Amino acid sequence: MYLQLAWRNIWRNPRRTIVIMTAVVIGVWAMIFLGALMRGVSAQMVKNGIATLTGHIQIHQRGFRNDPVIENSMHEPEMVEALLAEYLPSDARWSPRVRVDAIANNARHSGGLTLVGIDPEREAGVSFIGQAVVKGEYLDAGDEYGIIVGQALVDKFETKLGRKLVFMSQDTERDIASRAFRIRGVFRAEMEATEKQYAFITKGAAQKMLKLGAGISEISILLADYEDAESVADNLKEVIPPDSYEVETWRELLPLVTAVLKMYDWFIYIWYLVIFIAMGFGIVNTILMAVFERIREFGLFRALGMKPLWIVKEVLTESFFLLTLGMIIGSGLGLLSIHALADTGIDLSALSEGLEFVGMSRVIYPVIIIRDIVVANLVVLVLGIAVSAYPAIKAARFTPVEAMART
Amino acid sequence: MRSRVVMRLVSREGKVRYMRKRVALILSFIVACFFFFCGTLHAIDVEDLVRDAVNYYRGDASFSTVDMTIHRPGWERTLTIKAWTKGQKDSLFTIVAPPKDNGNGTLKRGKEMWMFNPKVNRVIKLPPSMMSQSWMGSDFSNNDLAKSDSIIEDYTHKITGTEIHDGKKVYVITSMPKPDAPVVWGMQKLKVREDLIFLSQEFYDEDLLLVKAMTGTEIQMLGGKLFPKIWKMQKTDKEEEYTVLDYGEIVFEESLPDDLFTISSLKNPRR
Repeated sequence: MYLQLAWRNIWRNPRRTIVIMTAVVIGVWAMIFLGALMRGVSAQMVKNGIATLTGHIQIHQRGFRNDPVIENSMHEPEMVEALLAEYLPSDARWSPRVRVDAIANNARHSGGLTLVGIDPEREAGVSFIGQAVVKGEYLDAGDEYGIIVGQALVDKFETKLGRKLVFMSQDTERDIASRAFRIRGVFRAEMEATEKQYAFITKGAAQKMLKLGAGISEISILLADYEDAESVADNLKEVIPPDSYEVETWRELLPLVTAVLKMYDWFIYIWYLVIFIAMGFGIVNTILMAVFERIREFGLFRALGMKPLWIVKEVLTESFFLLTLGMIIGSGLGLLSIHALADTGIDLSALSEGLEFVGMSRVIYPVIIIRDIVVANLVVLVLGIAVSAYPAIKAARFTPVEAMART
Repeated sequence: MRSRVVMRLVSREGKVRYMRKRVALILSFIVACFFFFCGTLHAIDVEDLVRDAVNYYRGDASFSTVDMTIHRPGWERTLTIKAWTKGQKDSLFTIVAPPKDNGNGTLKRGKEMWMFNPKVNRVIKLPPSMMSQSWMGSDFSNNDLAKSDSIIEDYTHKITGTEIHDGKKVYVITSMPKPDAPVVWGMQKLKVREDLIFLSQEFYDEDLLLVKAMTGTEIQMLGGKLFPKIWKMQKTDKEEEYTVLDYGEIVFEESLPDDLFTISSLKNPRR
C-alpha cells in the first residue's frame, strides 16, 4: 500500500517531480562521469609511470636508489639473473639496463639527459621503447654506436637521423667518458618530457663507454598483472640477498604517483559529498513542500488511525522512488557518456605543457570502476533518504486537530 | 807577352761562363727539389704537417701572458692570464687581472680539468656536465681546452688547396672526423703556413655549415720564433660576439717541471 500511495503521490505534481529528478540525474551523472575521468587520469599516470622505464618491480644494487651514480651499479648481475629465471612467474618479462646521466653535445647545442643502455630484444617486451620508434629503426644488439632519441630532443638539437651526438659522462674510474653515437631511430612518447629525458643505446656500448665490465644499473620486471607486484616482490625479497640488493615495486619506485593515487581516492569521495550537499538541499526542499501541501491529508490519515511511523515510511518511500528513478537515469547517462568517450578520450593537447608537469597524458580516457559507481549510488540513496527523514518526521508530527485547523 | 794576356783573358771569360752555368744548374736543382718536396708533402705528410704545426705553436713547454678580451653586444671585458703549457697535454692558467678575478685558475692534465676559485678557496674537478660550457665566459669552451689535441687524434687530414699569404705558401687542410671519434664537429678547416704557423681553424657542423672560427693575425717574433700575436675566436652568425687573445709575452722553454701542473700550484699560483 505504501508503494502505491507513494508512487501516485509523486506523480500528483509531475512538474515538481521532474525538476527534482533532473537534479538527481545531473548529480549522479556528474559523480559517475567525473569520477571516471579522474580514475582515467590516475590510470594513465600509473601506466605512463610504469611504461617509462619503471616496470612493476625493479632490482638495484643497495644504495643506487639513494645515490644513482655509476659506482653503485650491480657488478655481478649474473647471480640475480639466474635467481630471476628460477623464481619469477613464467609470464613475467624482465630486462637489464645501464642508466647514467650524461651530457649530449653536437656542434650547436648541448644538454643533459639520461642515457639508458638496453638489451634491445628484452627491453622491447618491458618498456614503451619497443613500440615507440617512429623514424629509422630500433637498435640491434650488436650496435656499438647507434642511439635512439626522442623527437623533442631531435628538434631541440636541430639534428636528424644519421647525425652524430657526442655524450659525456663519468665512468667507473671517475674519468670523463665520451663517445659518439649516430642517431639510428627517433621515438615518440606519450609525454614530451620523456622524449627529452631519455636516449637509448645498447647495453654493450654503455658498458664499454663507462668501463663497467658486465655491470648494470637495474633490472626491470614486468608482470602479467600489476596487482601481483607486491606478492612477487615479496617472493623475490626472500631469495635475493637483501644486504646487497634492493627489490622494489612500482608503488615504492613512483612515490609521487602512489601519493596522487591515494589522494584521488579521497578526492572522488569528497567530490561525491559536495555534489550531494547541493542535491540534498533540493531534495529536502521538494519533499518539505510536498508535505506542507498535504497537511490536511496527513491529519486525515492520523484521524483514520494511521500510526505516525507509517506516515514517515510513506514519505520516505516517495523520496526513495524519486532518488531511485534519478539514480537509474543518471547512472545510465553516465555510462553512456563514458562509453561515447571510450575510444576518442578527451584531448587536452592544448594544455599539455601544464599537464605534463604532473605526469598526465595528452588524452584522457575515462575508466569505469564498479566500486565508484556503487559508492556514488549508495551515497545518493542513503544520504537522500536520511535527509528526507526531516520532512517525513515533520509530516508524522501533525495532529489531526492541528491539521484540520489549517485550510 | 801579348798573346799570353789574351789567353788569360779568354780563360777568365770561360771561367765566368762556366760559373754562371753552375749557378743556374744549382738553382734549378733547388727549385726541382722544392717542387719534389712539396709533392711529397701533398701525398704523405699532411698528418705530420698538422702535428708539427700543433707542436710548433705549443712548443715543448711555454710560459705566456695573454690578454683575453671577451666582446659581447652590450659590454666588453679584458682578463689578463698567465699560462704555462707543457707538451700537448698539460696546461695551467691563472688570471692576474682584473683584481676581482685575480687568482682564478684552471689546471688541465690529460683530458681532466680542475678549476680554482680563491674566493671560496675550493678546487673543483670539472664534471662532464661543465665541459661544454664556456671557459670564463669566453667563446672557448672547456672542451676546446681539454681536448686541444683532438685535432691530431680524431681527424683525418687532406690538403685541399694552397694560398699565398705575405709571400708565403699556406696550406688549406680539410680535416674530417674519424667515423666514431667523440667530436661534435662535422669538419674542420685549417690554414697552416709553410713555416708551420696556424693561420686559422674553422669549425663546421655536420651540415658543413661554419659554426665558429679562430684566426691568428699579426705574425711577429715572439719568444724567439714567429708567432701570431692576436687570436680571435668568433661565432659565425653573431658579429658582435667574439673573444680575442692577445699574446703580450711568450717564452718557449725546453721543459717545465712536472710539479708545476699540480693542484697545489693551481691554488698557489706563481707570480
